[in-house]
Amino acid sequence: MGSEHLSNQVRRLRFENGQMTQQQLADKVGVTRQTIIAIEAGKYAPSLPLAFKLARTFGVSIEQVFQYDKQET
Amino acid sequence: MSKLQKSAWFNLALITTGSLFAMLCFILAASRIEKGFNYINVILCLLMICIIIPVICIIAKKKSYEVGFDEREKMINQRATTLSLSGLIIGLYLACFIPFVALGGGNIIKVAYLPVIFICTVFTAQLIKSIAVIVQCSMEKDNG
Repeated sequence: MGSEHLSNQVRRLRFENGQMTQQQLADKVGVTRQTIIAIEAGKYAPSLPLAFKLARTFGVSIEQVFQYDKQET
Repeated sequence: MSKLQKSAWFNLALITTGSLFAMLCFILAASRIEKGFNYINVILCLLMICIIIPVICIIAKKKSYEVGFDEREKMINQRATTLSLSGLIIGLYLACFIPFVALGGGNIIKVAYLPVIFICTVFTAQLIKSIAVIVQCSMEKDNG
């Protein structure tokens, strides 16, 4: 059995894209700021459409935003 | 405060006020318990309907407001709805089976007990839903 973990680079990408605020990113992808906070904190795994929207907003591929790690125990 | 939290607080306030009013009407009706048909009870029941229908209309209107929720908020709302339905079933189970176990199958309970079951289960379900939404939102806030 292994544990699954979805990490992301949303916070870093936000700062690399002109110090974008959480609210600005939320408005661009059509969610609330609370959702962006939850994604950045790893508390919420977004749906595939939202993940694509986030990647397109930053102009990178989805793998550069989200990383899926399966740790074998 | 997000739209979801505002909605949960509004729901909680609305259902608490509605339930308190319904309970007041019921207490008035129950204080005049008589056997057979009673016009005062009919008037009180109609008065309760006059409250229930606007509350349903407000909740239905609020459903269109909930369309604006994003996917995370919809997930929280869905989880809270599942919890409230579970609470509704458990509430109904307790309300119906406790008297059955305590009084025995051959005993009789007053008809006045039925509106109490209705008001309490509706209130419990909505209370659980609102609290579940508020708790989930505050937990995320604490963690994030």
